[in-house]
Amino acid sequence: MNLTINVVDEQPSKSIVYLAGEIDAYTAPDLKEALIPLMRQEDQVVAVDLAEVNYMDSTGLGTFVSALKSSKEYNSKLTLVNIQDRVLRLFQITGLDEIMDIRASIRGGSE
Amino acid sequence: MKPQSCVNIKKEWDIVAARQLGRDIARKIGFGTVDQARIATTISELSRNIYLYADHGQICFEVIDTFDNKGLCIIAIDVGPGIEDIGQVLEDGYSTSGGLGAGLPGVKRLMDEFDIHSEVGKGTRIKTIKWLR
Amino acid sequence: MSSLLKLDTEGYKALMKRYIETRDEQSLYEIEQASKLFIKNSILPDEIVNMHIQSLKDLYPNLSEDIQYSMNFLLEAMIAYGIAHQEYQQLREKQSELKSEISVAASMQETLLETKKPTIDGLDIGVISVPAHQMNGDYHHFVKGRDGSLGIAIADVIGKGIPAALCMSMIKYAMDSYPEDAMTPKAILANMNRVVERNVDPSMFITMFYAQYLPSDHTLRYASAGHEPGFYYNSSQDTFEELTTKGLVLGVTPDTTYPQYELKIESNDMVILLTDGVTECRDGERFIERQEVLDVIKRYAHLPVQKIVDQTFKYFERLQDFELRDDFTLLILRREV
Repeated sequence: MNLTINVVDEQPSKSIVYLAGEIDAYTAPDLKEALIPLMRQEDQVVAVDLAEVNYMDSTGLGTFVSALKSSKEYNSKLTLVNIQDRVLRLFQITGLDEIMDIRASIRGGSE
Repeated sequence: MKPQSCVNIKKEWDIVAARQLGRDIARKIGFGTVDQARIATTISELSRNIYLYADHGQICFEVIDTFDNKGLCIIAIDVGPGIEDIGQVLEDGYSTSGGLGAGLPGVKRLMDEFDIHSEVGKGTRIKTIKWLR
Repeated sequence: MSSLLKLDTEGYKALMKRYIETRDEQSLYEIEQASKLFIKNSILPDEIVNMHIQSLKDLYPNLSEDIQYSMNFLLEAMIAYGIAHQEYQQLREKQSELKSEISVAASMQETLLETKKPTIDGLDIGVISVPAHQMNGDYHHFVKGRDGSLGIAIADVIGKGIPAALCMSMIKYAMDSYPEDAMTPKAILANMNRVVERNVDPSMFITMFYAQYLPSDHTLRYASAGHEPGFYYNSSQDTFEELTTKGLVLGVTPDTTYPQYELKIESNDMVILLTDGVTECRDGERFIERQEVLDVIKRYAHLPVQKIVDQTFKYFERLQDFELRDDFTLLILRREV
């Protein structure tokens, strides 16, 4: 399966990353390559839209954890939005939902 | 050993000229069709490397004709960036162009002897021989 | 080489001649077999084309020059295939070398991570752990305490294969350095969290479930670091309950604390611990539901516990066409009396 990654710069300091497909050991490196540079921009607000992601494995979680760690280092902000139940469950089990900004629905600001 | 004949490699068209000259010499030495084709492929690979990665260079041919051995020696010399990790470019599946080029491992297989000297920032010299059997 | 080629050319020519005269299937079958031999003996496509050219010249001395040129053209076209074929052969050899190296590493790992299933009066224990590839990124172990308690750790490194397996070896050594039987599950997890946080790459983390069974008062104490929830089977009501826990995966933040839970285990009750390789089995494109795992376990519930885990594994292995996507570990405890 594939993962398509589409980065939209809403404002100079706000990006939305639209993902569609599956996040697993094969696609996670691409996601990391797209996400980490964004997180390394000071004060950048990054929303990752997971509406079209129906599967994610623990490798995907690892990618979001490293994104979270770099957001703390660079004072940027990571939010996961429109997350599907199956994927959300993974964040809940691992306790990551308590340290990450995750929103089940409602898209912030984009029209 | 007979004197060298050389072709300058600067444009892609020069690759064809080098192949032509190499094939003619190979035929005269007595190589069969298969070996002629392999020698031509070797010339392509070596001269494409010069064309793609170095500014310019030369492909030279020497007929080897001694008491017990006959063969063709091809020498590729360029003034280019040089190769940092020779072991890596000689490894199968490694190709900087990412393409389907046979690369240097291919050349090694097509020919009987292969030798390479390279210095980063200065250039590369490859010498390879095919023996007539 | 040329003498071998000569010999082959004669054979090729004779066969081609026969085929042209009779156009029989037998000749085609023979060339098919010969073709396999060519590959086995590393005869390259350009050499075969050359044999063809030689045979043509011998059989048809008056063959038009144009046809001969066209054959030489074909020969040139085959050269790159020949090189590619040789490269493929070499890579295959390399791959089999790597494979055997990994299998040595895998058997070392197996010895290293080996844990003995303890015997405890009144408790039936079953466990199965199967790696998706050669090396296992799942880990479990048992520790029998001096007070008669049983400590059980089950863990899963994100990712699979060699990096996961290496990480697991580190976990094992860290675990070995603690007086586990004198510590509570929550303390063990808090310690492990610090070890992982300090020693493992930021994108890597580990989930772990730690349980202690106290046979004296039939109690299970447990805590979880983001691990796939296990189940409790209540025998008197014939129901399964999820062992809901809170607790962050190991290695994300340095000072995580873990809540600890307690559960009373009655006769014939079961505790089921697993990794996500069990619950994330796939049947084609479909993911199985967690309920499906329980249904399968229930189907075999009348058997000794080791049989239950073995049969459950077999069921899901078959469901996935004998190709595991992730390491699979399933561990069940049942109070006997």
